[in-house]
Amino acid sequence: MAQTPVIELRHIQKHFGTLHVLKDINLSVAQGEVVVIIGPSGSGKSTLCRTINRLETIDSGEILIDGAALPQEGRELARLRAQVGMVFQSFNLFAHKTVLDNVTIGPMDVLKTPKQQAREEAMTLLRRVGVDTQAAKLPAQLSGGQQQRVAIARALAMHPKAILFDEPTSALDPEMIGEVLEVMTRLAREGMTMVVVTHEMGFARKVADRVVFMDSGEILEQNTPEEFFTHPQTKRAQDFLDSILKH
Amino acid sequence: MDISTLLTQFGDKYWLALLTTWQLTVISFAGALVLGVLLTVCRVAPVMPLRWVGDFYVQIFRNIPGAALLILLVYALPYLKVVLPYKTCVLTATTLIPAAFCSEYLMAGMNTVGKGQIEAARSLGMTFPQILKNVVMPQALRSSVLPLTNLLVATMLTTALASQVPLNPTDLTGLVSYINTHAVGGVTAFFISAVLYCGTAVVIGQLGSWLDRKVRLQR
Repeated sequence: MAQTPVIELRHIQKHFGTLHVLKDINLSVAQGEVVVIIGPSGSGKSTLCRTINRLETIDSGEILIDGAALPQEGRELARLRAQVGMVFQSFNLFAHKTVLDNVTIGPMDVLKTPKQQAREEAMTLLRRVGVDTQAAKLPAQLSGGQQQRVAIARALAMHPKAILFDEPTSALDPEMIGEVLEVMTRLAREGMTMVVVTHEMGFARKVADRVVFMDSGEILEQNTPEEFFTHPQTKRAQDFLDSILKH
Repeated sequence: MDISTLLTQFGDKYWLALLTTWQLTVISFAGALVLGVLLTVCRVAPVMPLRWVGDFYVQIFRNIPGAALLILLVYALPYLKVVLPYKTCVLTATTLIPAAFCSEYLMAGMNTVGKGQIEAARSLGMTFPQILKNVVMPQALRSSVLPLTNLLVATMLTTALASQVPLNPTDLTGLVSYINTHAVGGVTAFFISAVLYCGTAVVIGQLGSWLDRKVRLQR
């Protein structure tokens, strides 16, 4: 019998007013798999990423985390959300807390990890993403790249079953994109299950197990990066690749 | 009477009155802060009746004159078989009104917390009360230090309501009435109280600015 997928979306439908932003989305992500979602702006890829832990509501369909259906709201939703990490475009670190406290707050408050243990784990994670020397600073004192690495450590601290990355490098200066992608690449190699919405085609090519191409709220293609980038099946995927790979 | 005569004769009483004003101010403001935070939690809670209660409270107590509230507490409550000591009546009035303003400032302060931080907290699995406690309220309080400093000064001035009921020792305003019924202090008696109010307000203002610089967040 096949293993239960870590994330499974079944027939997801969503409208923003009259705009049909997600059209019958079906997607499953296996344990340890790295799925990269690409597509033109407005194609619904960020919305899709955010529906996975219900930061966006859906009109209909089912979301399963490790086989368990994600409820609409309440404590059970909070409990399942804690199992799926999220990294945002704009970092969203807690501005009044130090870097260390940003990483320990989730484990201490949600998982009830004892303070000492939470701090030790946090320092190990901060060292892993290379910002341990900044532990006592406030987020505003860090560069964008450093903040995003802290955000990754904050997600990892929850021992998540998967991490969602919603355009994690889009708000970064070019010289900082590399340091964040490097951390993400390392995570992928270590076997983390990841869903990544990005415009970084190099990352998709090198790290993804599967590339999902979206346009106008639909998944048009799913394939290995090798196949997708060399032999896109649809016209829209070809046009998209032409437009971004030309320059 | 000139200032020095007044001070020789009533110096001790001025000191006691100043302490009384400070005491009323501190107790009222502490109560207003606690009540203000609770009201604000109600006003953003995902429970309709709580929001309604919070909003209703603020609309009532922001718009009722202190003297009117005090009269109700002193003269109307006894009809409901509730007879409170005078000092309790004063403290109730000087707490309930500033609490409404406190909540308004905190509501404004909450708007400074980015939506993204709340989403991040939700994605960590925090529940609504945890998000309020860990993320929203601490930042709302930090960004409300200056308005809350003004509220502290306003609360102190509101405690002058105490002069309308018999208290012993009385507050700075009450003392002026006392002096003017026992001697001829005239405007000078008011002047000394005014200087003490102003002096306290200046110190509060300085402390508020210092605290604001210390806790304000860079963004």
